[in-house]
Amino acid sequence: MADFSAEVYQNEFLPDGGTDVHAVVTVTCTGAGAAGQVGEGDAAEIVIVDTSGSMGEVNIAMAQQAAAAAIDQIIDGTWFAVIAGTHVARMAFPAGRTELAMVQMDGSSRASAKRAISSFRADGGTAMGTWLTMAARVFATVPSLAQKHAILLTDGENQHETPEQLTAAIGAAEGQFQCDCRGVGSAWQVAEVRRIAQALMGTVDIIPTGAQMASTFETLMRQSMGRGVASATLRVWAPQGAQVLFVRQVSPTVEDLTSRRQEVSALTGGFPTGSWGDESRDYHVAVRLAAKGIGQEQLAARVQLAVGDKVVAQGLVKAMWSNDDTLTTRINPEVAHYTGQTELADAIQEGLAAKAIGDDATATAKLGRAVQLAAETGNDEATAKLKKVVDIDDPNAGTVRLRRSVDKLDEMALDTASTKTTRVKK
Amino acid sequence: MTACPKCHVAVEDSEEYCEACGAQLSPTVAANEPPPTEEITGRPPQDADLAGAESTCPACGGAVADDGYCGTCGARAPKRRDHFTEQPAPWVAAVCDRGLRHTRNEDAVAVAADAEPGSRAVLVVCDGVSSSVDSDLASLAAARAARDILVSSRSRGMGAGPSLIAAIAARLGAAADAASEAVLEVTRNATDVATADVPPAPSPASCTFIAAVVEGDLLVVGSVGDSRAYWIPDAGTATALTLDDSFAQVQIAAGVPRVEAESGPQSHAITRWLGADAPDHKPVTATMTLAEPGWLLVCSDGLWNYCSAAQDLANLVRQTSGTSPAAAAPLALAEALVSWAKAQGGQDNISAAVARIQPADGHVSGSNPFQPREEAPPNG
Repeated sequence: MADFSAEVYQNEFLPDGGTDVHAVVTVTCTGAGAAGQVGEGDAAEIVIVDTSGSMGEVNIAMAQQAAAAAIDQIIDGTWFAVIAGTHVARMAFPAGRTELAMVQMDGSSRASAKRAISSFRADGGTAMGTWLTMAARVFATVPSLAQKHAILLTDGENQHETPEQLTAAIGAAEGQFQCDCRGVGSAWQVAEVRRIAQALMGTVDIIPTGAQMASTFETLMRQSMGRGVASATLRVWAPQGAQVLFVRQVSPTVEDLTSRRQEVSALTGGFPTGSWGDESRDYHVAVRLAAKGIGQEQLAARVQLAVGDKVVAQGLVKAMWSNDDTLTTRINPEVAHYTGQTELADAIQEGLAAKAIGDDATATAKLGRAVQLAAETGNDEATAKLKKVVDIDDPNAGTVRLRRSVDKLDEMALDTASTKTTRVKK
Repeated sequence: MTACPKCHVAVEDSEEYCEACGAQLSPTVAANEPPPTEEITGRPPQDADLAGAESTCPACGGAVADDGYCGTCGARAPKRRDHFTEQPAPWVAAVCDRGLRHTRNEDAVAVAADAEPGSRAVLVVCDGVSSSVDSDLASLAAARAARDILVSSRSRGMGAGPSLIAAIAARLGAAADAASEAVLEVTRNATDVATADVPPAPSPASCTFIAAVVEGDLLVVGSVGDSRAYWIPDAGTATALTLDDSFAQVQIAAGVPRVEAESGPQSHAITRWLGADAPDHKPVTATMTLAEPGWLLVCSDGLWNYCSAAQDLANLVRQTSGTSPAAAAPLALAEALVSWAKAQGGQDNISAAVARIQPADGHVSGSNPFQPREEAPPNG
């Protein structure tokens, strides 16, 4: 059985009249076990591969190897299926049946799936919404599933569907399964694929060249198999009359969870966090309280992780009003760090969006701010990626110039990595 | 080990007369032979569990969660130890409160009484020394241990003479022994918990001790430290029944005015206490005949700090208990005294235990104020 723990980082002291309490809560899971192996219900995996014409002969061959590598990582007994995606979704494995289905992994099904994968041909368009819709229906064929995860690979824009159709398909799939999304090459839209990944509680990243696909798929599937806790919910209690300003995951990536609130009780909101392996995730919670008198103390939030209905970890966020400036002006390093990292993600995305529409002034200002924040928060990966898009005159002042010629892949790599955060150096 | 056949205090075989009551010790009786006891009945069958927090939030009425905070408004729930009351009989009550400035309540009270007004009562107050570890646990254990000794009254049929006074004084000594042992036990437990990596506690648990025993119209008080007992008749002169074992009292004895001595930098330093590092803990006793209607008040310095002189305290009690003191509720009076001390600043923990003394009408004889049986404290 997995063990969870929660640690709270905050400055609980508020000045006279102070109302806003910020805290970073680190939730750590150990002993998670393997997916589908701990008796909490079955696990299932679907591999979704873009087989549109743009993949071409070379990339389709790489994609076949990648899908096979993923299949090799799936633990025996896990339910699985393979979908080939073009302007329509096609059931690649198990195929030849009148109804959608999944099968359990064993030596024979693994071999059959690989044979099906080897028959992929690059042909047709791209309509990712149809792929997601089919995946949801395929998962629904097995009632015993507690944990549903997919890997989606694409190489291009979602041309054969309207944005509204994609939005509707994402909305229907949300909460049905988790999906890690990867784009190969530079012809796909980061924002479009990020939308899928964020809604389906997965990650988004770029695979610069087809040759890197197999190792990426292998890693993704191995990670997924290491998540023995099928599903957990972050619960945030705030006192009557208080306002939860926001709930964000801030590590390993920035994800704003605020709008995903599901009511647990009048004072407690639940925020789905998907499956867990042995890992730590940080959450930034901000609550606005009615100010109390100097010397008074109250609880500002209970931040809990719940598996099913069972609370498995709890952190207490406190508020204490004080007239001692040395206490109330103290800046909590974790809160400051992640506030900076969140702003960094926004600055990169807004800067790149401005650059894409030719608004160089905004792009320079935003990316300059990003350089500054990356330096302040010690995010060396972001700094390295920013350097490929801008020339840095003064990192501390955030003075930069847009580079004349930028490799599209570098720009996309900066975009996909924008939400990745570093931890506070202890 | 043998005991006096008359008052049942432990005596040495070599002694001819009982140290406590003066009775001839021939023959003695075996100590383990149970003497005829008449326990004071008015006490809770089981002491209130003061660990943990109140289950209902005093701020909003919501339920308090296991984490000690209200599940509705988030207010920190007060610990049960922070404010508790005891009322064993309608005429006896005690209130113990954290006050406003201290983070925990290191005072403790324990009282017991028979139902009949003015019959028999025991009032114990212990004030934990705040510079020592676990003094909140120590004071509560001490007060309850002392009360448990004192409720075992063996005094019926002894009359009201010197032998009764001696017997009660001896029991006060035994109660102080039990209280001291309870304090030492807390210190031992704290040592057990500490691992080799943790430095030893800065100073062992310790507390003051005061116990008042009412047996009809006889009052006997025993004290170690600076918690006090006052006799406050409804009319006339009030009496402080104890002398503090304190640096301030040493100064007062040397001629420094009370107000000055009790406000000096060392005024709260006590010279005697219960605890592992205590020089001794033999209570200094005093007796009095309760012949008039009035209030017996046993309190900690959290109250008397704001009202030290007996006559000032008497004025406060008379104002608080109203024009008809006989009709005043003891628990309400004790609560009001605690509230008053908090209104003065609540700098310390506050304990107030009171007993309403209401002799039958017409029975008025001269009172017998303040007769310290022991000599004044070493430095006093």
